[in-house]
Order: sequence, then structure tokens, then C-alpha cells
Amino acid sequence: MKKIVSLGASSILVLGLSLGLAGTGNTALPQVDPAYVKECGACHIPYPAQFLPKRSWERILGALDKHFGENATLSPKALAPIKSYLDSHAADTAAGNPRIMRDVGVNITPLRIVEMPFWIHIHAKQIERHAFDSPKVKNAGNCAACHRGAAKGQFGDDD
Amino acid sequence: MKNRLFVAIAFVALMPIIAYAAAAQKPIIDGYLAAAKAENSAFSGFSAERGKAFFLAKHDTSADTPSCTTCHTADPTKAGQTRAGKDVAPMAVSKTPDRFTDAEKVEKWFTRNCQSVLGRACTAQEKGDFITFMASL
Repeated sequence: MKKIVSLGASSILVLGLSLGLAGTGNTALPQVDPAYVKECGACHIPYPAQFLPKRSWERILGALDKHFGENATLSPKALAPIKSYLDSHAADTAAGNPRIMRDVGVNITPLRIVEMPFWIHIHAKQIERHAFDSPKVKNAGNCAACHRGAAKGQFGDDD
Repeated sequence: MKNRLFVAIAFVALMPIIAYAAAAQKPIIDGYLAAAKAENSAFSGFSAERGKAFFLAKHDTSADTPSCTTCHTADPTKAGQTRAGKDVAPMAVSKTPDRFTDAEKVEKWFTRNCQSVLGRACTAQEKGDFITFMASL
């Protein structure tokens, strides 16, 4: 009997823990379109829309057949919700942050987040260049190599 | 005699498992089979051996993705990695049983990756050989 009671108690504890974790995970997630995570997140972390201006996303989506050396074309049906998410959450929209757009020339259309002045300011001046050449990182666009929470939109020093 | 009987029983017992592994991929393979016959009247069936050679082949179309193995590694039973650093589940059906069961997904990736690696669309025979190879591992 005692054994049954303790088993029951540990089941409740496990259930409580998993519910708690699920709750935390959900509240920490930023608003990211599920279609964007599914399609774009298949090859790389779903880079937050807020890290590039709208014009950059437009140019990227307009050339998916030549996407950083690969063909990443999507059907018009699959592309529509992704375009809508990026258009409405880009750095220079109400969902963005003016600090991300700082020093981005009006005539410049960065195609990589690592070309954005905010990114260079944070990384290039604080982190030694060779850290990005490590085989584990592969390239600076592999945010998740260092930022473990990158796929969930967490890019703090401790994430 | 007893041994032979045991082997026979074991084989019969395993048959449903073997059949099941191929059954999940059958609708898609059948689709490419019909297309391959339409492409080439001399077509006589898919080959895992041809699929293997196709998977391992190196091409000079793209410096970024010269081969399927660039991302999938030369061992399809192992996980691969995209150029951006994300893991790709093994292509071998024995390791990833839901591979080649979603026709839309299969066509999306053949369309993209054939263009990336070969610079052209793949034929139905190439696609069928590829899946046959992955289902044989």
C-alpha cells in the first residue's frame, strides 16, 4: 500500500513538472508563424523577422531559387503565410525595434543578419573572429551553436 | 533439419515486418514507377544499386552542394547536417520510418535538391532508385 501511495505521489510530481515546463516554454516563445518555423526552420533556425528590415525579407523571398547557394523554392501556397509574417514583424515595422535598424543605410538591403550593424557591434567587437571558424559553429549564421535558445528566439548572453 | 525449420519459422515470422517497412513507401514508389515507364518505355524497374551510385556521385554544378552527401553524409543511416548547421534525420527508412511517406514533402525536396546539386530536375527513375536505395538500408 505504501508503495502504491509513493508511486502515485511521484506520478503527480512528474506530471506537475512537465506541465510547469510546458507552461514556461509557451510563455517564453515569441510570436513566430508556425509555417515559417516549419519551412524555413527545416534548414536553419527560424531567424527572427525582427533582425532584418522588410526590404531584406522581400528580396530574400523573391530569390529563394538562389538562397545562399541552394534552391529553397516554396509553393505560392506555402510562401503566403511566411511572407505575411515577415512583412508584419520585420525590424522596421511596429513589431520591430529601432535599435536593430540603427546605422542601416536607407539604400542598403542587408541579406544576412551578420551584416547588420547591430549584430556586428554586439559580436565582432566582443568575440574573437576564430570562434566563428570552429567546426562546431561552421559559420556565424549558426546562432544556435552558441545561443542554445536561438530556435525559441532567445539570444541573450546566457542563452 | 531442426535448424532449417527454425530458420524457416523465423523468416515467416519476420515477413510482415519486412513487408511493412516497404509498404509505407509503396504509394510514392508506385507513383514514380508509373512516371518512369512514361519517361522511358525500356524502363525495367528501380535499382537500389543505381540509387546508391546516384546518392554518392559528385557533380561540378555547385561548389556549395556538389553531392547529396554534402548534407546527408555518405552514410544514410547517420544523421546529416545542413550547411547552416541544423541536423537532418537519417535518410534510411530503417532509421527514419516516415521518410518518403508524404508525397508533397518528397517532391518539394527533390525539386530543391536536384536543382541545387545537379542544376536540373531529377528523372522519375532517379527518384525511384534513390527511394529504393534508402528503403533497402
